[in-house]
Amino acid sequence: MLFYSFFKSLVGKEIVVELKNDMSLHGTLDSVDQYLNMKLLDIAVTDAEKFPHMLAVKNIFIRGSVIRYVHLPAEEVDVQQLQDASRRDAEQAKHSTKTGAAAAAAAGKGQPTKDTRPDQSDKVAAS
Amino acid sequence: MATSEGAGDHVQEATVEEPLDLVRLCLDEKIYVKMRHDRELTGTLFAYDQHLNMILGDVHETITVTEVDSETYEEMYKETKRTIPMLFVRGDGVILISPPTRA
Amino acid sequence: MSAPTSTLDAFYGKKVLIITNDGRTLVGSFQGYDQTINVVLTDSSERVYSSHQGIQTVPLGAYMVRGDNIAIVGEVNEEEDAQLDFDAIKAEPLRHIVH
Repeated sequence: MLFYSFFKSLVGKEIVVELKNDMSLHGTLDSVDQYLNMKLLDIAVTDAEKFPHMLAVKNIFIRGSVIRYVHLPAEEVDVQQLQDASRRDAEQAKHSTKTGAAAAAAAGKGQPTKDTRPDQSDKVAAS
Repeated sequence: MATSEGAGDHVQEATVEEPLDLVRLCLDEKIYVKMRHDRELTGTLFAYDQHLNMILGDVHETITVTEVDSETYEEMYKETKRTIPMLFVRGDGVILISPPTRA
Repeated sequence: MSAPTSTLDAFYGKKVLIITNDGRTLVGSFQGYDQTINVVLTDSSERVYSSHQGIQTVPLGAYMVRGDNIAIVGEVNEEEDAQLDFDAIKAEPLRHIVH
């Protein structure tokens, strides 16, 4: 959620997105979601000679999973706020995984018997 | 030194129970990141999450390309370097993070 | 701001260009998508790039492209696209997305 919130704060700003196929695009960040899928407006490919594939394309949706890096406007980044948020999130994640693990363990106790039940009834029916 | 009775931030700063705690201790420090496909980064860690998505400042990236000489079959390593003032790194490419080495 | 997937709504009925993870370029009329970004195109075609000749267009018809294999969906400006000289545009095929 930290980076989702962070990118939301960059909406309207110019960024450079570098993809895992070595293509690099710059444009204005229009929207972002929890998967870090992004929509960019008025894009241009950084090396248009090598990548003339999107000459008539202005607005794009980029799947988050194909992003390698995002070059950020340094002046728009509050590094102190980011560090505080990272510490806060780390703390929160720890608590939620601890309680989450306990809940999963409790749920796990009941699970196997439930799963084997149809199996057993099949055998009874067969014999 | 934080005592075990210390509350809040002090406890968090002092305890290293899991791998990501070590990453937390690297905040605001210059770190080395080894990435997939022979990429290496150094930079100041400003943010991270559980996926190891990161924001690094004053980044130096080194990309190593291996080229095999077509005649001698000798392996040649070509390094490309660049610097990026502020960079978001997607965690799925991260292999390892190392804290700054102190001389 | 709305989420990027919901802003795919803006592409309905429009001509879009999809770059797939294996480096292919598909162009077609955007008919729909779902939460996994599976996309349906009609009247689609592939634009094949090559360094020694211009763009070749291969007609494909109706396609459903699985979301996992989509890198980019872009809205094509049809006027600008019509101005492009396909025979003159030469480029190496795109590299695959390598995770």
